[in-house]
Amino acid sequence: MNADTLLLGIGFSVPLTFGLLSAAFDVAAHRSRRRNSIPLARSTPEDRAEALLNEWLCPEQRATLERHGYFEVRGCHTGKRYRIRRGRNMNIEELGKNGAQVAVWCFGPAGHLPLGDVMLTQKLALETNEQAALGVANRLRRRT
Amino acid sequence: MAVQIVMDLTGDTRHEFDTADAMAVSQAERRFKWLTGAGFTAAVRTAEGRSELIRNFDPTAEETLFFPRLQGG
Repeated sequence: MNADTLLLGIGFSVPLTFGLLSAAFDVAAHRSRRRNSIPLARSTPEDRAEALLNEWLCPEQRATLERHGYFEVRGCHTGKRYRIRRGRNMNIEELGKNGAQVAVWCFGPAGHLPLGDVMLTQKLALETNEQAALGVANRLRRRT
Repeated sequence: MAVQIVMDLTGDTRHEFDTADAMAVSQAERRFKWLTGAGFTAAVRTAEGRSELIRNFDPTAEETLFFPRLQGG
């Protein structure tokens, strides 16, 4: 191998190695970002709504939503507890003093919004304007 | 910077504005009035997990969320 061949080999291998390392770093960085947050520009409406919901929940609500598929809120006027389950309809349970379900309420935002937005609207409405929310809601059933 | 977040079909649309820019604040106030006039309700976060409704534009609010009119399911 003469000096020209050696230099040519180095000329190709150094950029190639650097390029491969760079690509590997990009993939690792992308995976790391995916674990920590959802890039808004590329996420779906459902992803964006879920991210917004999580931003507005307290840590306890986030934990029960992730673990059990629901979170609880307290009505601002009556002090009653409500359990908001993942869902668009018939997903709000009014809880009695012993934690048992005493009624199911159904209301949400007008228009077809992603699920996270629906649940966040239900939370905000009950926590900040409970009477107005229940005023438009349907009370679907009651267990005794 | 402050942001107005409007729930919509895409999840939400965010309008950021500089609270030190009088023109941007004025535009944000017009957006607030238009949205609430169209039936949206405005809420701000007061603490983590807690929020309150606002009826009037608050130029000091860092984050205002607008959700559509409520309806029975």
